[in-house]
Amino acid sequence: MKKQYRKPHQINAFFVMMKYFFLAQTRNPATFAFGFLFPVVFISIFGLIGNSPQSLTIGLPSNSDLNNPIIKTVEQQKYIKIQVAPESQLETSMKQGKLSGIISAQQTSQNPPAYRVNVITSIANPQEAAGVLSLMNSIVDQANLRAAGITNPPISIERKELAGRQVRYIDFALPGQIGFALLSTAIFGTVFGLIYLKKALVLKRMFATPTRAITILLAQGGSRLILAVLQVLLILILGIVAFKFYMPHGWITFVELVILSVIALIAFLGFGYFMAGLVNDENAAGPMVNLITLPQFLLSGTFFPIDNLPTWLQPVANILPLSFFNAAVRKITTEGGDFSQTIPLMFGLVLWGAVMYILAARTFKWE
Amino acid sequence: MAADIISVKNLVKKYKDFTAVNDISFEVKPGEIFGILGPNGAGKTTTLEIMETLKPLTSGRVLIDSIDVTKKPWDVKRRIGVQLQSTAFYPEVRLTELLDMFAAMYDVKIDPMKMLREVELEDKAKNYVKQLSGGQQQRFSIASTLINEPKVIFLDEPTTGLDPQARIHLWQMVRKINKRGVTIVLTTHYMDEAEQLCNRLAIMDHGKILKIGSPKTFIKDLLNTGFKKEIKQEQANLEDVFLNLTGRQLREN
Repeated sequence: MKKQYRKPHQINAFFVMMKYFFLAQTRNPATFAFGFLFPVVFISIFGLIGNSPQSLTIGLPSNSDLNNPIIKTVEQQKYIKIQVAPESQLETSMKQGKLSGIISAQQTSQNPPAYRVNVITSIANPQEAAGVLSLMNSIVDQANLRAAGITNPPISIERKELAGRQVRYIDFALPGQIGFALLSTAIFGTVFGLIYLKKALVLKRMFATPTRAITILLAQGGSRLILAVLQVLLILILGIVAFKFYMPHGWITFVELVILSVIALIAFLGFGYFMAGLVNDENAAGPMVNLITLPQFLLSGTFFPIDNLPTWLQPVANILPLSFFNAAVRKITTEGGDFSQTIPLMFGLVLWGAVMYILAARTFKWE
Repeated sequence: MAADIISVKNLVKKYKDFTAVNDISFEVKPGEIFGILGPNGAGKTTTLEIMETLKPLTSGRVLIDSIDVTKKPWDVKRRIGVQLQSTAFYPEVRLTELLDMFAAMYDVKIDPMKMLREVELEDKAKNYVKQLSGGQQQRFSIASTLINEPKVIFLDEPTTGLDPQARIHLWQMVRKINKRGVTIVLTTHYMDEAEQLCNRLAIMDHGKILKIGSPKTFIKDLLNTGFKKEIKQEQANLEDVFLNLTGRQLREN
């Protein structure tokens, strides 16, 4: 009598494999370091950078007259840092780009009181130089008006402050960090992971079971998806709790971010499968992986905006897969936009992913 | 007479212009321990992997339990157990978890601890494969071939790299599994392993089978041709000395 064999349930095998593949990742020190420690360190650094608002630093030579009313007014300005030091030392600081300007004022006559203001700025930093100059102009103009007895000048400025939101570096950097984490997990993990499994015959041993190869690959991807979602949650929660990352619509934005991340990871996995299928050893994979990931880390608005790139490079940078994701995330966070505005961007990313899955299906080598 | 559990007919496997397996035929009877003996590169592993459905054949026919491996590979996979040359297990997954995972892949229910007890690894249940010694890894690998209660298991060079004690221990384990009625096909390049463990052998070189039969008949046939070995009859050999000094006890931990 023939023994009856049941047809294996691929679904059950899928979930069990995914569970253990995921556990294996959490037990791997490298995954822990790259997946969780790095993002925490990056976010903390970017969070701290964002907390010091930009300001002008003005040097006052210690041998100059520090008690005249012009200098006193300068010292009372908001957003100005004052540094008092010998003149030669201030000039060195300015050459090093640590000072925005050096200011001194001497009284030139007693009655009526008159002053000469000396402003030294650096040609290396025109923005800050202009800031110092306009600050000094306004102080001097006001003082002149007062001296001329004009209390009601014909032209006046009515200033109104809107309750605007200060855009901090963390608000820019955090979406980039999510993209960075997703791309790393999807590509580095998949490529080096699968190459090891191929080389060590782990995949072959699994192919000797009645579970289909595609189920095994999908379980691999599934386990990376769980890991990536945890990474995204960690980055978001750390950003929100420790550095008050801006979420325009609170938890709705949070859910939207997780949805975008899942779509992005699935697309990025396509790149991982494509490369893991193409090569069979780590040495060949290394340069290839860097070729795909490094330009994206640099050009996709991960650490600085694409607008800062040379104009001829921007059209290329804008269509990189990671750029689509970064732009989509910023659309619903920093820019406070609607989720529907991310659709054209995510479409670009999904298109990239689809191309990669098709290429992977055509070129994948199992051993 | 029971049907052959394995039947290989005119099997050929070509890689571009290299012929790894060149028109071989053999049968394996149910309950046998069948060995494929040959030097490295003889085509043993390729032959095994074709029977295991892991490699497509170029021409010929392979039946496992009367099922064609090319036509119904999924039915074959369910009936066989496979041990590959290297210890091929997912890293950072514990032994019990690996067995549990393979059970899911075969869609069967097992008790992982019971399976580990059978290969004397119950105290290593929470370890990873890489933390095991070579012999323990091979025993675990054998345990993993038994998950789906296969009719045949294939072992590719199961004792390569093991110390003498671990080899003897593994042979005992293979015989124990065989006694339960599981047919065993193994490859080896050790003469003593072939002689002591296998009921029948195929001697293979350059992709061809040179001779098939039992180790005893091979020797008898050779003697019948008038072959004479320079006789230096000693009552013991170096292995006997070694085992006498170090004992047959398995070394672990």
